[in-house]
Amino acid sequence: MREADIIVVGGGPAGVSAAVEAAKSGLSVVLCEQRPALGGAIHRQPAEGAAPVAALPSLARRWQSLSAKLSASRVEVRTRRAFVGIDSTGAVLIDDRAAGKVEVRRPRALILACGAVERVRPRPGWHLPGVAAAGGLQVMLKEGRVPEGRVLLAGSGPLLLALAAQMTAAGNPPVAVVEEGDPVSRPLAATRLLTHPFILPDMAVLMMPVLLRRFLWRRGTRLTEITQSADMLSARLRAPDGREERFEVDRIGLHDGLRANDFGLTADPPSGLVILRAGDLREVLGAHAAEADGAEAGREAAARLEGRPSCGSRSAMRRHRALQHRLSRIFAPAQGATVLRDCPDETVICRCEGRTIGHLKEQLAGPDAVSARELRLNGRFGMGACQGRFCSEWALSLMSELRRSAGVPASPPDFAETGVCRWPLRPVALSSLANAGIYDDTRTERHIEGISA
Amino acid sequence: MTAVRTFFWQGIEVPFRAGESVAAALSGANIHGFGKDNAGSQTRYFCGIGACQCCLVRVDGRTTEACLEPVHAGMIVTALEDGDA
Amino acid sequence: MREQHSSPPVIVIGAGIVGTATAAFLAMAGTPVRLLDASAPASGATGAADGAVSVASKRPGPMMTMARAGAALYRELAGQGLFQGLFHKRPTFLVAASDAEADVLSDHSKALGEVGAPVRWLTRDGAADRLPSLTRKVVAVLEVEDEGHAIGYSIVSRLISAARLKVERYCPVASLEYEGRSGRVSGVRVGGAVIEASAVVVAAGGGAGRLIGLPDVSRPRRGQQLVTERAPGLNAALPGSLLSCSYLLSKKHEGEKADARGYGVVIDPLETGQFLIGSTREEGRTIPENDIEAVAHLAASAQEMVPALGQLRILRCFAGIRTATCDGLPMIGRMPGTENLFVAAGFEGDGICLGPLTGRIMADLVRGEEPEMDVSPFDPGRFATGSIAA
Ligand SMILES: Cc1cc2nc3c(=O)[nH]c(=O)nc-3n(C[C@H](O)[C@H](O)[C@H](O)COP(=O)(O)OP(=O)(O)OC[C@H]3O[C@@H](n4cnc5c(N)ncnc54)[C@H](O)[C@@H]3O)c2cc1C
Ligand SMILES: Cc1cc2nc3c(=O)[nH]c(=O)nc-3n(C[C@H](O)[C@H](O)[C@H](O)COP(=O)(O)OP(=O)(O)OC[C@H]3O[C@@H](n4cnc5c(N)ncnc54)[C@H](O)[C@@H]3O)c2cc1C
Ligand code: FES
Repeated sequence: MREADIIVVGGGPAGVSAAVEAAKSGLSVVLCEQRPALGGAIHRQPAEGAAPVAALPSLARRWQSLSAKLSASRVEVRTRRAFVGIDSTGAVLIDDRAAGKVEVRRPRALILACGAVERVRPRPGWHLPGVAAAGGLQVMLKEGRVPEGRVLLAGSGPLLLALAAQMTAAGNPPVAVVEEGDPVSRPLAATRLLTHPFILPDMAVLMMPVLLRRFLWRRGTRLTEITQSADMLSARLRAPDGREERFEVDRIGLHDGLRANDFGLTADPPSGLVILRAGDLREVLGAHAAEADGAEAGREAAARLEGRPSCGSRSAMRRHRALQHRLSRIFAPAQGATVLRDCPDETVICRCEGRTIGHLKEQLAGPDAVSARELRLNGRFGMGACQGRFCSEWALSLMSELRRSAGVPASPPDFAETGVCRWPLRPVALSSLANAGIYDDTRTERHIEGISA
Repeated sequence: MTAVRTFFWQGIEVPFRAGESVAAALSGANIHGFGKDNAGSQTRYFCGIGACQCCLVRVDGRTTEACLEPVHAGMIVTALEDGDA
Repeated sequence: MREQHSSPPVIVIGAGIVGTATAAFLAMAGTPVRLLDASAPASGATGAADGAVSVASKRPGPMMTMARAGAALYRELAGQGLFQGLFHKRPTFLVAASDAEADVLSDHSKALGEVGAPVRWLTRDGAADRLPSLTRKVVAVLEVEDEGHAIGYSIVSRLISAARLKVERYCPVASLEYEGRSGRVSGVRVGGAVIEASAVVVAAGGGAGRLIGLPDVSRPRRGQQLVTERAPGLNAALPGSLLSCSYLLSKKHEGEKADARGYGVVIDPLETGQFLIGSTREEGRTIPENDIEAVAHLAASAQEMVPALGQLRILRCFAGIRTATCDGLPMIGRMPGTENLFVAAGFEGDGICLGPLTGRIMADLVRGEEPEMDVSPFDPGRFATGSIAA
């Protein structure tokens, strides 16, 4: 059995286009996706019998075209395979959940296209049942389960409006979208978006329900607290003028932006293995960029394996980056950056381990200037099952807030210092590790038939 | 001609659509809390992409993310707090 | 409080468990002390260890004797409050899976009896009763009482806050400064500066040998470990740690081959409801990283010993580097020929157990007081005088 030349991880637009492009060179390519189906964050396919959710105009038909190319290619697609890391010898570890074993693979190149994760800032009550990441609600919606009851969306960024528009189309608009930024108050920045004409139809789709007043759009407003009363959630909002308002709802979707899903990946990979990053995992630039970036990564991987000069400048990304910068300026919080240290001490930071802002303050209370790694170990921040994906960023920023306010001149602590660059990237069943084996094609039916023939 | 397919949540039969996740099917049945996890926190659907580990359930004895696990007819799904493996 | 001493402070190099305990006991006794670390507290072996405070796992001889005293100190300090909530008393179960292992275990039980460790053999039914999750495929199980568990980094953190130490982080000591030919050290060199010291304690783990001019007396021995998710029920069903006899064997064959890799499985139920599964012994490995071959081997052995572990998920793998001397014993004491230079290093896989005791002994030695136990078997002079070839 010959090992694949290239393994691509992630079946979103970046991974699929990387696999398709890389396979054009004639090299063998395997595409691994943790879910049962490809599509990624944006092109998630509905369950049987559920109505598909309309994609944004600029993205319509992109997926059909990509999947057609994939079917025509010689890429081997393996679903329900989660990439869980690269070990110290350069082995690529894939958790085959259905088979209950970790595949140990040794490709010549690895393209990582695991997308983005949402940022959700700790606020009092964010950990309550009924509160989800807004993108999580969107995933549900795309799978065909429209969030029911009274839904409030809060945080910042275009994703909130996209989800609101999709919910409206699906028949249950949110009661309100609470946006910390105030895009309308920045007309100059908004006109700059005109230099990116391809997103204009998308913007029209996003703004239509706002203009039709299908839901309230509270701009410049911050959700400051969620409490639970009986079986309802109560959200407290603060407007720019300081006025407070409450909403009683069934569900809340929070979203504070996206960040690359590159947790636990080391900056310097073991020698010998070519590792490329693509799409949102490399830089969060949206779906169009991800597809183009993936294609470039695919070509670059092939070129490097074949000893050709690699073209990989990724220059096309500059335009997408400019667009993202403009968007983030438009959605900049109107009330200034939030200060975590002002949240009540009971506010949960690390949900997995149940650690709060108060616990963190305790760790830093003594005369000794503890490092980020000690904070992690002794305070158990980021020691739980999500391995810090949701809390490390906030624990570290609270730490520097507190240090700054105590007048300790500290360099911003980073993830590397907390020592979290290691595998498994995801929890893996002990039995699957015990069964870890060199990937062996003789186990697949196709091959067995070949032998018996 | 889709026959109604079901799986079991805490011993109760729950219908599902082929191709959806355990989390989506539970949400369809209006089940939003999946019990307490082993650190005592309430489990529930959150990120939808396997990252947050907030949606852990036990499927045929294994701990897994409800949002990633495709549901099958007859699958036995329980809350974590029902005991260890 | 104003500085009363005109003489410079004692400098302790290394904020692992040994150096931190030394500095803490000195500070608590009123001796001014500065604790320096090249990185941060518990960033070496101490922060990547299992925490067996165990006599059961020691080699017969001075180590076993010292471990008895080390475990007794943990019990004492837990009772007094200093280690309260951090030290958890519980037995160790030594498990033999074959007749050959049972023979090794039988000898070992005699040695344990000789140092006064309370041991008892479990019958087959007794083992099934007491250890319901343990595989039935065992030949013999020996229970050792008076043992316990403590997490190295938690102990370090507690000592730092109790003694109100301010650790000087990112402060790598390049060399020691000697006072002419007086046979004294005058301080330590960090970067371009010299920090004055009235005495120096080198507790720098793997970095100690170079500082004291004996770079070849110790070598690194890597250990890889796994941590599971929480499983309170399964955890509660295991009253102590399980130690396979292959662990004793892996400690015994102290790497004849330069790149030898031994596996001795330990399954430790942690207070959080998690399990820690250790560990490899890999000669000459200095980089704390994990490879799938070792991890799969540990996972398989653990699952063989406690089949129900197979269903738990592994959250983390990590690795630590032990520092082993060439005769297998640590160096504890004054450097011959230098009256105010002390060393405490080379604790291999036993430093969590021995760290606090060593710290108290070092504090006594530095203060010119009689230590509570005889440490002559660990005299660093045995290497300096060339009586043992490094
Ligand atoms: C919840 C959410 C909603 C979004 N909504 C929008 C939107 O409305 N409009 C927009 O322009 N952009 C949106 N984005 C951004 C979107 O991610 C990008 O536009 C685009 O989908 C990026 O493509 P990608 O291929 O890089 O990543 P993705 O499309 O995210 O694909 C990554 C794939 O990798 C898989 N994967 C992840 N980790 C592993 C692993 N360890 N092993 C195996 N497979 C793995 C995932 O299951 C996924 O299929 C959203 C992002 C998120 C997270
Ligand atoms: C996998 C594994 C499992 C283990 N399990 C157990 C167990 O169950 N029970 C047990 O008792 N023991 C166990 N141990 C052993 C135990 O961890 C060590 O013996 C103990 O931590 C040694 O402590 P130390 O203070 O001597 O060294 P370290 O913890 O290594 O500390 C030395 C410190 O010195 C610093 N340093 C080094 N050079 C310099 C310099 N030039 N200047 C300034 N600072 C410097 C380092 O940064 C480091 O912080 C285990 C070890 C490993 C690796
Ligand atoms: S909802 Fe986050 S892992 Fe399932």
